[in-house]
Amino acid sequence: MSRKSSSKISRRHFVEGTGAGLVAAATVAPLKGQAPGADVKNRTQGAPSSPPRTKIKFTINGAERGMEVEDHWTLVELLRDHLGLTGSKIGCDRGECGACTVLLDGKSVYSCSQLGVWIDGKSIITIEGLAKNGRLDPLQQAFIDHDGPQCGFCTSGQLMSAKALLMHNPHPSAEEVRAGMTGNICRCSNYNHYVEAVLAASAAGPSTGSGGNAA
Amino acid sequence: MTTLNSVGHATPRIDALKRVTGGATYTADIAVPNMLYARVLRSPHPHARIRKIDLSKAQALPGVKTILTHDNCDIIWSSGDTRNKRYLFNNPVRFAGDAVAAVAAVDRYVAEEALRLIEVDYETLPFVLEPEEALKPDAPEIQPGGNLSPNNQGKAEPAIEKRGNIEEGFKAADHVFEDRYQTPHINNAQLEPRASMAHWEGDKLIVYASTQGIANCRTDIAKDMKIPVEKVQVICQYMGGGFGNKNQCHDFDLMAAELSKRADAPVRLEFTRKEDFISVHGRWPTVQYYKVGVKNDGMLTAIQMRGYSGMGPYRKGAGDISGVEVYQVPHVEKTSYMVYTNKAVSANFRAPAYPQGVFALESVMDDAAHGLKMDPLEFRLKNYTRKFRDQQPYSSSGLEDCLRKGAERFGWKQRWRPAAADTGVVKRGVGMGMGMFPSSLGRSNAILRVDSKGNYDVHVGVTDCGTAAKTTMALIAAEALEAPLDRITVIWGDTDTCPYSVGESGSRTTVFTGQAVIEAAKDLKKQIAEKGLPKGDQFWRADAAPNPQLRDLARYSFTAHFAEVEVDTETGHIRVTKFVAAHDSGRIVNPLTAESQVKGGATTGIGMALHEQLLYDKRSGLPLTAGYYNARIMTHMDAPEIEVVWVETDDPYGPYGAKTLGEPTIIPAVAAVANAFFNATGKRVKELPLTRDKVLGALSEGALA
Repeated sequence: MSRKSSSKISRRHFVEGTGAGLVAAATVAPLKGQAPGADVKNRTQGAPSSPPRTKIKFTINGAERGMEVEDHWTLVELLRDHLGLTGSKIGCDRGECGACTVLLDGKSVYSCSQLGVWIDGKSIITIEGLAKNGRLDPLQQAFIDHDGPQCGFCTSGQLMSAKALLMHNPHPSAEEVRAGMTGNICRCSNYNHYVEAVLAASAAGPSTGSGGNAA
Repeated sequence: MTTLNSVGHATPRIDALKRVTGGATYTADIAVPNMLYARVLRSPHPHARIRKIDLSKAQALPGVKTILTHDNCDIIWSSGDTRNKRYLFNNPVRFAGDAVAAVAAVDRYVAEEALRLIEVDYETLPFVLEPEEALKPDAPEIQPGGNLSPNNQGKAEPAIEKRGNIEEGFKAADHVFEDRYQTPHINNAQLEPRASMAHWEGDKLIVYASTQGIANCRTDIAKDMKIPVEKVQVICQYMGGGFGNKNQCHDFDLMAAELSKRADAPVRLEFTRKEDFISVHGRWPTVQYYKVGVKNDGMLTAIQMRGYSGMGPYRKGAGDISGVEVYQVPHVEKTSYMVYTNKAVSANFRAPAYPQGVFALESVMDDAAHGLKMDPLEFRLKNYTRKFRDQQPYSSSGLEDCLRKGAERFGWKQRWRPAAADTGVVKRGVGMGMGMFPSSLGRSNAILRVDSKGNYDVHVGVTDCGTAAKTTMALIAAEALEAPLDRITVIWGDTDTCPYSVGESGSRTTVFTGQAVIEAAKDLKKQIAEKGLPKGDQFWRADAAPNPQLRDLARYSFTAHFAEVEVDTETGHIRVTKFVAAHDSGRIVNPLTAESQVKGGATTGIGMALHEQLLYDKRSGLPLTAGYYNARIMTHMDAPEIEVVWVETDDPYGPYGAKTLGEPTIIPAVAAVANAFFNATGKRVKELPLTRDKVLGALSEGALA
């Protein structure tokens, strides 16, 4: 399994990483994605599948945590199914919609396009960690005031992208907000209100330091 | 219009906190112990007979619990096709994406691997994708009885609407304009993929659905599962959008219920995003032939339309093509063919029959104005509807004000110039369109309670698919009860605790269920006036199930949209630079969330105009653009600022005069953008969307001669 630092995950890096993941998985379950054949018997006659597991340590919403993960779990799967953090949504599971956006060491990433094992030694902030000590992040308040969420399914991702944007560019222009959040699709198409809200939060003052160990 | 205390004031959603903290629980967030996970196998062919399905390898995979196919499951999804028997699993399969099998297994990985181990022997059949082709005598037969889908009376005939005498209308005309327009299949593409979690407690079925209407969903599930309706509970607390394709119950609800029954365990079934694009319905594609007669002074004399709607292989949707009624014209003839094809099923998507119809209608009207050298705004002010179908008065109409006030905000007088006025590479143009949408009255229910401290519970069967229905109901209750908003608690989204609600389709909830809340509140206030507040742990309760009807009136919402675009004639790129949406939806209950509706609807319409489509490969019959990127769904970068103009008519019906809002917001947006492109370039693209290939093609017309 490739264990390169993922602090600067580019799209190319992601593709390479996924390729490595598939190779690793193939040694265990040779038929993944292929037509059934003789080797099926090896798999089906054995015990229920037990994919390779790895022990990792990470920080999640400020708390340190160690656990054993199956190597094929995506990060969003790890968050939703194994840590009970269902605020991050799966809209496409293929890096198109942004509903699963979280902060990985202060950068926004699609958690459907990251493997869980890659977060070893890293810090993750999800929507559940955005409010601090019962106080909403200014972005959350602005999203309420400007009616950002309609159906709300994309909202967690919009917030986390906006958070990453403001941490790196505290006073963006409307055009910069659009560019910074364009990886987050809203089919209710409430884009105007999301942009308004981010600009309002930006004007309200510096975002509090809930972005973990961001630069 | 009198000012009210709660209604009419911009109010954040009462559940906004849950929505911004990740605390809102959607269907796929629900997990229970011992829950199985289900996935669906789909046809890779547009039309094929299944000779044999071999499940032996899949069933041998450890962790696989139950597999459904047409061999062992004959459940009919009755709301999936209103004309034919549509089973959960059909043979033959009739579109690429038709369900072949569903597997419940211990986890997602096992379920997905099991799909790969199912061996299906297909005999491929000839297929047809386009409705006009499908009506030819030698076309492959998709449903028994032919490809022209029958009407409500079971007759395979087109839907015909006639008024006046169309021939006389054309005789009276000084000019006739005609053209052919085409619109594609477009996906609703709501962010939340389809999911259902079902489990049984004895003989009671509990379904956590992702639905726009828990009451209808429950009735449908009971009917199709052949169990009494009181044995079904449907829960939907938060719902990630539907825009019309989560009405009623869905095949995934029924599959989850049946898998759960057979496996004797809770089952969560999820569709992938790709499945959502190829196997769940979107907007019906159309071909429309328009012919319009106009006098020299610009008055319309006749509108004739012949349209073909591609319904996919099952008749889930109505398939009509609407919009003509927005014009005052004595002679009308509409003929609509609803046709089976081997594309994905099509049905409701935000104002189902309207934006594609209005795109074509408003294009040909724009051509008429251009031909007469008239300002398109003047043309519409002359011809907009004064009476519904020239006969029935409206309960209220703000259409003229939408045109005038919208144009004023937009700066139409300063911005409009005759077509193709710019000579540079980047050409600017403006366009407009108008539309209307029914705002009927009808039955819905509400139950209100008050306790000894003066706190009110409002039980309404809404699901709040993003419309802010909960907040709307709370505002109406606060107004009717003369109580502050924080005394109101809304109980929603569960058929065991909520009465019937009409469902969030047809943009009816505010009007229907809002009226029920008012009626129940009146009753409760009367009880309090007579008996005082209850004592101790008592409460007073009021039920209402009003079924108001209109008499001799038509009730509609109206809208006019105005767009300015810049067309880069070298790249073919179109950018919307200004957009104004004027709406008469009666009294606006909550201006904050209503603005969200308008901005969202208009933006979706702009996407429909410019780049959204599910494109099919003609040779293989397979969809090519499944997914957000390839179907080119609107993004932040694509979305212009939408300015909203409210024309609040004082309508005597509906809760405090509110009319329908959610769906009208998309209707004229498509036409406004397409007409702006024409105004910029003097060329017309007659097939949506206005992608760069078509734009450059239109611009180069005649260039090579």
